[in-house]
Amino acid sequence: MARTAKQRTDIQIAICGSAGDGTIAAGDILKQAMAKAGYNVIAFDVYPPEIRGFGKCIARARITSEQVYSLKSESDCLISLNDSHAIPHVSEVCKFGTVIYEDTPVSTVGEGAHVSSHLSPAHLPYGVAFREISERITSSARSRNIVAVGYLAGLYDMPAEVFHEVISGKFAGKSKELADSVGAAFDAGFQTGVDTFRLHFDRIGASGGKGKQTDLVMMSGNAAVVRGCLDAGIDAFFGYPITPATTIMEMLAREMPKHSGRLLQTEDEISAIAATIGAGYTGARAATATSGPGLALMTEMMGLGAMAEVPAVAFVSQRGGPSTGMPTKTEQSDLNLAVFGVAGDGQRIVLAPTNVEGCYKCAGKAFEMAEAFQTPVIVLLDLYLSNRYEAVQLPSKNPFAENCSKTPRKNASPAEYNRYKLTSDGVSPRAIPGETGRMHTVTGLEHDERGRPSDQPRIHEAMSVKRHQKLLPALKHPGVTISKRFGDKGVVDVGVLGWGSTFGEILEAMIEARKEGIRCSAMKVVMLSPLPVGPVKAFLDDCNEVLVPELNYEAQFASLVTGATGRPVHRLNRVRGTPMSVGEILDQIRQLVGHSGKIAAE
Amino acid sequence: MANTEHYVVIGNGVAGSEAARHLRQRDSDSRITMVSAGKLLSINRYELPKIFSSSADWRDFLLHPPEYYDEQKISVRRNTWVSHVDPTNKLLMLHHREPLSYSKLLIASGGGRYIPESLNQFKNLIAKFGTYEEAKSVCDALPRRGHMVMLGGDMIGLDLARSLVRNGYKVTVIGEDHLFWPHRVEAEQRQKFVAVLQDMGICVRTDVAITSIQRGDRNRPDRRIILDNNEVIDADVILSFCGLMPSLAFMAGAGVDIERGVLVNPQLRSTDKNIWAAGDVCQIWSPEENQYRFYYGWKNVKKMGRIAAFNMTGADESIDTVQNEKLVTTKSGEIDSPFWQYG
Repeated sequence: MARTAKQRTDIQIAICGSAGDGTIAAGDILKQAMAKAGYNVIAFDVYPPEIRGFGKCIARARITSEQVYSLKSESDCLISLNDSHAIPHVSEVCKFGTVIYEDTPVSTVGEGAHVSSHLSPAHLPYGVAFREISERITSSARSRNIVAVGYLAGLYDMPAEVFHEVISGKFAGKSKELADSVGAAFDAGFQTGVDTFRLHFDRIGASGGKGKQTDLVMMSGNAAVVRGCLDAGIDAFFGYPITPATTIMEMLAREMPKHSGRLLQTEDEISAIAATIGAGYTGARAATATSGPGLALMTEMMGLGAMAEVPAVAFVSQRGGPSTGMPTKTEQSDLNLAVFGVAGDGQRIVLAPTNVEGCYKCAGKAFEMAEAFQTPVIVLLDLYLSNRYEAVQLPSKNPFAENCSKTPRKNASPAEYNRYKLTSDGVSPRAIPGETGRMHTVTGLEHDERGRPSDQPRIHEAMSVKRHQKLLPALKHPGVTISKRFGDKGVVDVGVLGWGSTFGEILEAMIEARKEGIRCSAMKVVMLSPLPVGPVKAFLDDCNEVLVPELNYEAQFASLVTGATGRPVHRLNRVRGTPMSVGEILDQIRQLVGHSGKIAAE
Repeated sequence: MANTEHYVVIGNGVAGSEAARHLRQRDSDSRITMVSAGKLLSINRYELPKIFSSSADWRDFLLHPPEYYDEQKISVRRNTWVSHVDPTNKLLMLHHREPLSYSKLLIASGGGRYIPESLNQFKNLIAKFGTYEEAKSVCDALPRRGHMVMLGGDMIGLDLARSLVRNGYKVTVIGEDHLFWPHRVEAEQRQKFVAVLQDMGICVRTDVAITSIQRGDRNRPDRRIILDNNEVIDADVILSFCGLMPSLAFMAGAGVDIERGVLVNPQLRSTDKNIWAAGDVCQIWSPEENQYRFYYGWKNVKKMGRIAAFNMTGADESIDTVQNEKLVTTKSGEIDSPFWQYG
């Protein structure tokens, strides 16, 4: 069927199976192919805790012709590769949405155990012999996930050629027979889909006029972090595996040797941050990656980094907590730990990107800021952002500066060099160990300008001011968004203030609210410490009501904003381990309009 | 006391749908499950000819919107079919290897098209028109003012034929044996009704037999029909309307008496006390004719659905086995049939 530019595409596919069914692999092929075909794609995979073995996997991908910012709460299509796992998700399929499932199970299933017995009357059932087709084509049932993707592509009129390109690329390092076999499984599924009578109303329309794109890259938040690290010239990485940050270390372990970098898996998180700070002290661009429990262990060394004014970058991907919590569920509950988790007044920079492209920028800029302001920088991610895939267009020219250090004057005498010199901008010239004539002391104790321990009141006060004041220029650091307002300008009925991965849902809700005639704005705050108080206050001034949705119980960001501005906000907090839904935010916006009684249309 | 019945209805046509509706009205608590091979909820197949004139959207053919099933707590198992029935254990096995237990079962699986043995070898070249999907495929395959050839010309087919002619299509009916089925039209009357059909714009060929059916040549209509007089008829679509064949393969070995259809008494109960049948799938004992026979048409099928539901819930109603089944001519010069009465 010919695709026309007028056909708007907005289809969300969910593939649900058990670990080992190839669910995530099938979703990966789908999203890579559709991004290659020029569509906007947002995807998010949910998988079981590796430490627990087998369990449920869900790969969701929203494929659109126009820019969108979040996944939908309801999918248009659910593919079941494992009925027991898929059954709870049938209710997430929209009215007249499709459910595609295996209709030739290998053995008898219990009454009510087949996914087809759980469909709502408004769902459209498509039973397919995935297993039989796979066995017929490849002599094995292992390719049933590929047959399923092929069927989906045929049923929804997706272009087969891009799938073949992705499959070829994915199996490039394997035997030709295997790649051919997988391609044949896809084709068999595709033809079955083409031959199926369509009852659903969705099919892939035009890709928004962009056609086949080669400069769009489909990547996850963690992959974008890695790309940002590499483009920023990371020298050293030290880490200890922890979900959902582990893939950062895994990818860097593959890539860093190609870039003359060094990576070490340490014995724990304390060693990882200690080594990162040590490497930073030597002038290397160094980073670590962890999650909330790891950051809790790192707090002592973070304090040392702040006190010794050593550059270091820590990527922290949040998950459900406290303690071991929910390793494979998303949450935004480590804000307080990231911003305040330190002994004493040990402020550092905290950045929280809101999308995959932001992960790339924040990762690279974190190294610049760490050097420029001689401080640890935390880049605060979460599982939803780390594992979320988006089609992004990365800059063709490396946007990151190579060296942002403030170095001592070359002709300064050794006697004049003060490592912690009090300067007008608070940033002292930094010498790295081994530089001739730049000998100095570094300690976690309070110290004077030369670095010698001192607990004199005057010195502690001056140094405290220095360590805080030097960070404020970070709010104007070039090339990175610190905060940004979207939607209606001027006075609005409702302003929605957000941070991190939830901002995509906030944007979508704001757009929907505006369609309903509500004057609405949204502001994202990327730099959480130091907080851009001025722009936030200006935004609050424009809003009759302010809503702060976030994925934590304690309203951590709302408290941060209220504490910094003294203004009241409405809180919307969810801790289900899943992303916030657009509908929930929109409902709150509607309620607030009723609450304030002010609608632009009136 | 909680009612623990589980009524299972095989088939979601007019009979099955009507039965489910009355089952719920008479028993508000029990479980009701409909099983259907089709992907769609119950549609009104008697309205399918409208696909050529007005709507191509399947939602317009639904007997009830999806919300109805939720409100009525009627579960609909679609896109699956029963592979066999085990009356001893009151268990169905669905195609996808899932058992489904029942306490009372209604077989309302309807009938599929019947193709005479002599034409069976050409069945892949003969389209179907029993479901929405089939009707839509025929509609898509038939060009504007295209030519449809009907083999047989039973009353279901003639209903479609008159609709097609009204919408500017050309229709040719070939064959004599099944013309006007299930009406039993005497020879002298037959010529009169054939003439009426001709006047209605339907070309009727009772003087020829089909030798073969072939695919059309390039740039020609999709099908070619070779007649026994060597005449060749080009057609865009060929349909068979030679009566219905009850869809009952799943009942083989179930121990329930079957002739062509499920044999039931006038209360629609089969020889198994927990199994009833309704619609085009059942042969009802007619005391007047001293034989089991089929009763067709929307009104009969609907009535059977209601009576089956009543009797499954403890009533004792019977179908009227004496009916007016006369083919007639209307004042406007068209034929009319009680089997066409609808609505």
